[in-house]
This record gives sequence, C-alpha cells and structure tokens, in this order.
Amino acid sequence: MSASARPDAPAKLSGSVVYGTDLDVPGMFWGALVPAPVARGRLRRIDLGPARALPGVVAISAADVAALVDGRAGDAERPPFPPEQITYLHQPIAAVAAPSPGLARAAARAVRVEVDGLPAVTDLEELFPEWPERAIDDPDHLAAHVRAGRGDVEAVFRTAESVVRETYRTASVHQVALEPHACVADVTDGLWHVRTSTQSPFGAREDASSILGIPESSLVVEGAWVGGGFGGKGAAFLEPYALLLARAAGRPVRLALGYEDEFRLGRTTLPAVLRMETAVTDGEIVGRRVRLLLDVGTSLPGRDFATGYAIGFLLGPYRTPTFEVEGYAVRTNKPPFGPHRAPFAPQAAFVVESHLEEVARRIGADPVAFKARHLWKEGDRTPLGQPVLPFGLPSALEGARATAERWRREAPSGHGVGVAVGFWSTSTGAGGEARVELTPAELRIIQGEREIGSGSVVVGIARVAARRTGLPFERIRVEYRDSARAPFDSGVFGSRTVGALGRATDEAITALLRSLGERLGAPGPAELGIVDGQIYAIHGRTRRSIAELWTPAEEAQGAMAAEGKHYGKGGAIDESLVRDGQFYAFTDFTGAAHVAEVEVDRETGSVRLVRYAAFHDAGVVIDPASARAQVEGGIAMGIGTALTEEAIWADDGRLTNAGLVDYRIPTLPEIPPIEVHFVEGFAGAGPFGAKGLGEPPIIPVPAAVASAVRDAVGAHVTELPLTPERVARELKLL
Amino acid sequence: MTPSEIQLRVNGRPSRIDSVPTDERLLDTLRWRLGLKGTKEGCRTGMCGACTVLRDGRGTLSCLLLTHEADGASITTIEGIGSDPVGRRVLDAFDAAGALQCGYCTPGFVMALTGLLREGGRSTPVDEMLEDLGGNLCRCTGYATIVRAARSAREEGA
Amino acid sequence: MPAFDLVAPGTSDEAIAELRASDPGEVAVVAGGTDLLFDLDDGRITPRKVVSLRRLPWRTLDWNGPTLTVGSTLPLRELENDPELRRRIPGLYAAVRAVGSVALRHQATLGGNLGRSAPASDLVPMLLALDAEVDLVGPKGERRLSVDRFVIGSRRTALAAGELIRSVRIPEARPSAYLLQRVRPFHDISHMAVAVAFSPTDARWRVAVAGFPPRPLRFPEAEEALGGSTPGAADIARAAEALATRAPIVADKRASEEYRRQLVRPLLARAIAATRIGDR
Repeated sequence: MSASARPDAPAKLSGSVVYGTDLDVPGMFWGALVPAPVARGRLRRIDLGPARALPGVVAISAADVAALVDGRAGDAERPPFPPEQITYLHQPIAAVAAPSPGLARAAARAVRVEVDGLPAVTDLEELFPEWPERAIDDPDHLAAHVRAGRGDVEAVFRTAESVVRETYRTASVHQVALEPHACVADVTDGLWHVRTSTQSPFGAREDASSILGIPESSLVVEGAWVGGGFGGKGAAFLEPYALLLARAAGRPVRLALGYEDEFRLGRTTLPAVLRMETAVTDGEIVGRRVRLLLDVGTSLPGRDFATGYAIGFLLGPYRTPTFEVEGYAVRTNKPPFGPHRAPFAPQAAFVVESHLEEVARRIGADPVAFKARHLWKEGDRTPLGQPVLPFGLPSALEGARATAERWRREAPSGHGVGVAVGFWSTSTGAGGEARVELTPAELRIIQGEREIGSGSVVVGIARVAARRTGLPFERIRVEYRDSARAPFDSGVFGSRTVGALGRATDEAITALLRSLGERLGAPGPAELGIVDGQIYAIHGRTRRSIAELWTPAEEAQGAMAAEGKHYGKGGAIDESLVRDGQFYAFTDFTGAAHVAEVEVDRETGSVRLVRYAAFHDAGVVIDPASARAQVEGGIAMGIGTALTEEAIWADDGRLTNAGLVDYRIPTLPEIPPIEVHFVEGFAGAGPFGAKGLGEPPIIPVPAAVASAVRDAVGAHVTELPLTPERVARELKLL
Repeated sequence: MTPSEIQLRVNGRPSRIDSVPTDERLLDTLRWRLGLKGTKEGCRTGMCGACTVLRDGRGTLSCLLLTHEADGASITTIEGIGSDPVGRRVLDAFDAAGALQCGYCTPGFVMALTGLLREGGRSTPVDEMLEDLGGNLCRCTGYATIVRAARSAREEGA
Repeated sequence: MPAFDLVAPGTSDEAIAELRASDPGEVAVVAGGTDLLFDLDDGRITPRKVVSLRRLPWRTLDWNGPTLTVGSTLPLRELENDPELRRRIPGLYAAVRAVGSVALRHQATLGGNLGRSAPASDLVPMLLALDAEVDLVGPKGERRLSVDRFVIGSRRTALAAGELIRSVRIPEARPSAYLLQRVRPFHDISHMAVAVAFSPTDARWRVAVAGFPPRPLRFPEAEEALGGSTPGAADIARAAEALATRAPIVADKRASEEYRRQLVRPLLARAIAATRIGDR
C-alpha cells in the first residue's frame, strides 16, 4: 500500500470514522421535531397528548422547557420553541423522542397543533417596492440598518462624466454538507453532555448553554467527525433540542435532520437585491453608491451579523475616494440567515465585478486593466480607512490577465473567457489555544477541533508543528479532546484554523523549544530531530534525548507539555465614516483572481465550463496539496452558486425545492480542469505568514463565470444563478 | 405472507436477520442492525450516492432498496471492499491521491467506482467512466482529486 | 404502525391473484423500488400490501429480427449495457443513460418508469417515437396497448386493477435520437426533451416531446412537416415552428412555457441532425 496523502485517509477509507450521524449509544431514543404548519401565525394550542399516548414516547414543547432546565431562564429572545409567534414554515414548535425512529416520526405527526395563520412575508421587493428611491422605516421588518460614507456623493455624481446605475439580484444558496446535522445528547447527575457534528464545540457549548440558561460548566460538547460544514455547523442548532429531550426521557436521545429539513430549517445565505451606482471621470472612479436589501429571514434585531458583513465586500478591493454604502437587513418568514462559506462574499463579488466590468465597457476601457488600476495595494487605505497590509491580489490579477489573454486567443467561437477577483480576511481575531505534549516518540497537539474535511486540523496545524520543530510530519499527532478537556478554541470557520489555532500551536511549541533550550544550557530555543528513532533536542552540537531531559514529574506524566494561545487583533476602521450599524475590520488581506472559460449555447442558454484557472494569495502556503485541494473544492462550490443553485420560496413560505432533486449542486462531469497557482511573498497573520484559504476559493467564481458568459455571447446577466433560462432571456431568445 | 427471516451475504459472511419490518431500507439494516456504519446516510432519495453498496457486484443505492427485496443477495460495503482486488485498487488510489476531505461521500464513491471498474473496466472510455460517477455527489473536493484517483485505479487495472 | 405485507410471488398468476385479493387502493407493486420508496416516504401511498415482482422471470431482453422486447423488471442498466442497443436504437440508449445515475439504473426498471408515467420521464418520449407497446397480464388474460394509449398522466396509466406490465415491445429498431435540456446537465430532471425516430418501414419520422405536464406526447404535425427520409432545412424549420407554436407546452416550476417553446426548436433540429439514417 502506498503512502497516504492525508493522515485521516486510511480511517475514512475503512469506514471506521464516526460522524455525527453514526453516533449510537445503547438504550438511546430517537428524536424528531414537530414542524410549524404555517410560515407565519400565532400558535393557539399545542396538544402533545396523542404523541405521549404512544408507547414510550416523550414529548415536549415551550411549556415544558422551564421545568427541564430546573427553572433557569434561557435567552428570552431565542427560546428553543416559539412560545407564540411562528416565524417560518417547519419551525420546530415541539419535539418528541421514542424507542424507534418510526415511532418518533409517528409521534411527531400525532401532535395536534392549532394556529391562527397570517400571510407570510417572503419577497423583499414586494415588501419594499419603492426601495431604493425611498428610505425604509419599518421597524417590524428591519433587523438592522447599516450605513457609511465619505464625501459628498451627490455632488460627485452630479458633476461626473458618466454614471452607471444597475440593479442586481442574488439567490439563496445552501451549504449542502453531505452529512445532515446529527447529535446524541445525554443528561446525567446534572451534567449535560452532547456529542455532535459541529465546526465549533466551544461555540456550540456557549450557544446551547445560553439558549437553555444552563451554566457552560455543566455542559460538555464532544465533537464527532464532521461530514462537511461550510458554515452550516457553526452555532448550536439541534443540540438544545436533543439535550431537552434527553433530560425529559432520562436517557440518551439521538436527533438528526432528514435531508429535506436540512433545506427547510437550514440557516444560510438568503436572497438580496442590490443597486449599484458608479461615477467616472477621466477613466477614474470618482464616486460610488451601493445599496443593499438583504433578506435575513427570522434573524433578530441586534443579532444580525449578515448585513455589516455583507456590506464590507460591496465596494470590492478598489480605491474609492467618495462613496456611500447602505444596507437594510429585512426580516422575512424564512429561517434565520446563517453563514454559508464566505457569507455573501461570492454574491457581493459577482455584483461588484459585473458592475465594474459594465462601467469599464461603457467608458470603452478594458475591464481587467480598469480594475487593476483601481485595485488596493499594500499601504493604500480601504474605503473605511483601514491600511492595507501585504496583499497579493494585484499580482494574482496580473497572472489571471496573462492566462485570460492566452485562452482568449485560443478560444473557438461560442467560447468566452472571464476574469474576476475576490478578497477576504483570515478571521484570526477569533482566538484559540492549544497544548503540545512531547514524548521520546512523538509530538502531540492537544486541541478542541474535529477535522471538517479541509485538512486544516489533521494536516494544517500538524504541518505548522513539523515546520517549527523540524520533526518529520509522521511524528506529529493531532489529538482531539472534548470541551471539558481541551484548551479553548473558537472553531473551524472563517479561514481561521491554520491562522489562529496554528498560531496557538506554534506558540506552544515555541515555549516547549525554549524550555528544552534552557535544559540543554543553550542560549536559545532547541530544535528537534530524530536520532536512532528517538526524538532529541538539539542546539548546535549539543543534543540530548527527551528521556534525558524531562523531569521526574514529566516522566511520570509520559510527556513534556507546553501551552500556547493566539487572540489576534483585527485592524481598525475609521469609525467617523460609519453613520449607522456595524462594519467589520479586516485582520489581513487575502484574495484571488480567477479565470473561467465557458462555452455558451446560443440557442438554449446553457453554459458549460471548459477550463478554469485560479491565482491565490494565501500568504505562505503551509501544505501545498491541501491548499490546492481547498481551491479546487471552493471553485466547484462556486460553480454551483454561479450556475445552478437557488433555494426558491413560494409566497406561502414553502421552500419549493427542499432536497437534492431540484436543488442542484455540481456533479463530477460538470467540473472543468482547474489550474491552481499561488502568488508568494505577501505574509499574513498566521504562522510563518500563512493566510487562511477556506473561503477565498469560492468568492470570485460566480463573477468569473458571469464575465466569461458575457465575453462568449454578450449576455450581461444581473441575477444569480445564471441558469440556462436566465441566459436565454438575456440573449433575447424569449 | 411476509417472510420472517432474511438471508444476506454481507462482506462474504452469511447472515440471517430476523424481524425486519417490510418498509426497512437496506441502508438502515446495514447501519443499525449490522452495525456497518461505514455506509453513509445522505439524502435518502437516491440523489447523492453516499449510501452506495455493491449488490451482487453492482453499485446500488441502499437508501432506495427494501431490505426484503435484497433477500438472498450478496452485499459488499466499505468495510469489506478491501478484500476485493478491484476494491483494494480503488482504496489505494483514493489514499494515494488524497481523494477525500470530509470523507462522508468517500465510501459511496469507492463502492460506485469499484462497481464500474468491475462492470466495464478499461473497455469503458475514461469520459464515460467519469460521467458514470456523476451520481455520487461530493461537496468538498470539487472532484479533482477523485478524478485523479479514478483515472489511476482504471489504469492500474490494465 | 404495521408496515405493509410484502409478498414476492414466483409466477404471474400468483402475482395477479395477490393483486386481486386486495382493494386496489391498498396494494402497490414494487419492481426496482426507486419510485415506490419516494411515494412511501411522502405518505402519498399507504399500502397494506406490496407485491414484489423480483421473483418473476421478467428480467429479459430479446432481439427478434428488428424487434426488441424488454422484460418489465429488467434493470435499466442491463438494457443500457446490451451491445446491440447503442448501435441499433441510439435514441433509446441515450434516453436510458439520461435516467438517474448508474446505481439508480441498476435498480430502476422500464416497467417501473412506465408505471410511474412521469411527465419528465426520459424513456416515455423515446418509446412513443418508437411506437412501442406494452404487454400486460391481468385477471382477464393478456393484452397489448401502445405506450401512447397506456400513458395517461403523472402516476396515471391504463393499467386495470390486477394488471401488471410484463414487457415492452419495440416493434422495430430505428435510427433515433434523444436530446434534452436541464438546468444541470447531468443527474437532473429534463424540463424539455425531444425524441425522434425514423421508421425504415414507412419512411416517416416520429417526434415526441416531454418534460412538462401532463405527459410526454407525440406531435403528428411536426412529423408530417418533416416529410421523408432527408428533411431539408425548411422542413425542419416548419416542424420546429409547429412544435414551438402549437404543441400543448405549459410552464411548471422547472421552466416557463416561453422558454420551453424556444428550446424545442434547437432540440428538434439537433435531434434530426443526430439521427443517422442509412447506417443500416
């Protein structure tokens, strides 16, 4: 057997890895959620009696929660079950647990619910037909209002040579991790325990304990292996229900979502409408105004993260002297907006890139050159006044431009080549801690994250350790502990794992090497090496085995240990420019320029990807194979956002395509050959200058594909996704 | 009358299973009765391929097969595929190419590709083989490493 | 919560007897099971008895001169793998490959596809263009119906109580083609499809369209416009025009009516161009 390319491959290929859906505890009951029968309405009465009459069945609703948490008060704004107002269809209004899955389903169906239904609110433009000409003042439907600007935009637009105004629409897309959400909870002797498929055991602990009102110290979250997250497994979701059911049943309860409910209850990117306006004089952007209407579903006022986040991407990575950005977060009868790989950044990049391409074409400029001229460079300031740190996007765009020129020369009729950029920031502000343990045989990294697939845990932080210590990769072992026993970490999201947890690991190793250096009597930290199969601490010509250096206490423990932490600092924006709401500063500046070649069928509107190239600034690349795989995977996901993925709600709040039949993620034969390039020399905040790479690969994709479609057949599509029918409309075929 | 006992050969070992409800899927029998959790539950609608097993050597969606309908069949799952020479080749190719990330689709892909190679092998053109893998969805890899693994497993069967 | 009784008779007489012994609303038939299990999960059907066809000797495929007879329980993948099919009825080969995935086709059957009679069936339009017939067995004996008469609408067929589809008969292998349009090119539901076949016997074209409710259908006006073996550009344009303007095409959640009407023109022209007459 050949060497494994990933340390988790043999276990995953043997089928022995335990994911959330595989959790199986003797004596456990099976849980099920009782769905709200309307998207909006008042819950008049809920009768659990018929469910409880079934053999062994436990059933709970809002009225039972207080007793189950011993009278404690949870977060009143987001109770597990709505006490009265239903805000989306299939919202959990009760839960049941039963000795078998079939009985649990039957019990959920047996619960009798009476509601007074109200008309659902689902469509942004129907709700606010006069936006953006008219400002919105409707506290019932607004979760947030954010606004920032610099200079007198009105004056600049009045005097500019040309002004381009466009409206864009983007669709709701789902994470579609192959593994549905699943967990098993148990409550014994006042200790609440849940094993779950989560991107953030500590985040789930914080969230679940706040929802239930129980102290974090009485809740243990144990991560199972994660069958894909993409943002959808960040916060607590099923865990509070499973914990309540386990308490009520007095035994472990498994709760998992069926795949339709993944879509119907999933918290993800929701639809948006955007008005883009740009003023140009002498080929230079002199002013921009961006307005956003973002559907945030049932997000809570004051709890909406989406708009401030989304809006940060809507000026793009471009110098803009005078601008105004304004976003409304609109509440509708859908599940809450939640993070989906680079929340709203691919949609924002699609809008910004397509719009600036339109601006360039209108003034007769080459779109790529026009963008390159306005792109941030290190030392520039972002529109919100933050200094730009080392930033490889200009180099990436140069690489993309050269590739695009070559491909365009080679492309036959009906083909088109598009270029687009996207940017991101590694979220190292979300902190993390790690412990390392050194034995004569290996270095163990003790930490609190389960691998979600990218390799950032089992490969990424292990590579950091190998590089810092000089040990072979095979001598590094990443070990997982539950939330009661692991050092704190924020979670696997935001492209932060290698950046933040990797820095924490690096700090721990540095402390260890310093201690070993002292023990060797050396003036600085030791290095590690292998001598006769044993790990040695080395400094210059001095080298001693670990067994010679450890203290009796360490020997008794079987390891030398050290701890490290990293709580990164974000940059600061110029708060004087913010007029309302919250904007986010960037920690570092990562980015990518992508090139797509497509073939467009002029009679049907079908788009086929022919080939694809990506140029990424990931700072210092820690593991080339994982980095490449991350880019390939992100691009495929972006192709779905670009061409086929769209969750569609009917007026009554029903998701019309809940499931994989009509929600179409890309399949293998659709994905073209992908070239992956990294531009080097732009250090980020991570260990050795690494930058995160979880989100960046998806961001430019819809924009690059749209640009290629426009290049191929002249169709300027202003709505995602570019389904064949939308392209056909733009081609005036109908 | 519904027969009370089902006979399956699972990963080469005969097994008799009692009292299986008539509406039970092979997927659930494998996972929850036989403890073979390597076969993954995804969409349960035949759209994702995560639950693919071999039934008498052919790739089959265990989520869309009543266990009673498989009575008498020989079933191979990810736990047993390493004993099959073609399956071994596929496993090695996935391992060497790093053709997995979260790994949740991986057992289904391994079973599907093994089934295809046993069915057509190198007589099937590469593009057709890749198209035939289109029923297995992966959200992590963008399929690139899986394509590399599939090509290499096909070549090594020469 | 009693599940249903599941019986697997060994002969067609026993199967028919099992069907007759139950109220028609309380009995269902399982062949490949790929549609049945959807309907069970949805609660669309709640049978008390399910009759499995797995023991019936109907997993057959027979060529007899130009005629192909396919047993109703033959998995579609076995039909696809028949070495003759691709060469002699390329349109049917393409239509079979358009169904689901390989694993699904190892389970799904031609009989099941006809029994489900979905508006977006990839097989029914091709069977229509091939003048295919279904052979039924039932309490009153055997009968043969054209696919056109058999298919009524979604989940609605001419199958009488107690009847089963035994086989599908394609009277002659024909040069043929099947072209479809989907949002996602692979592993999706076709929202517009065109099946064409040219009969060497009467030297006439058959044209069927599918992908919209209530059912796939032949469109004789287009067939007439195509005339004989080698339609010219004007004939094809006339046939496409007839389809695009007069076929009873409607919208559903997957595509608008106007888009479908646009699509039918290129799909027809390409299908005709892809049909190789004279290879045999």
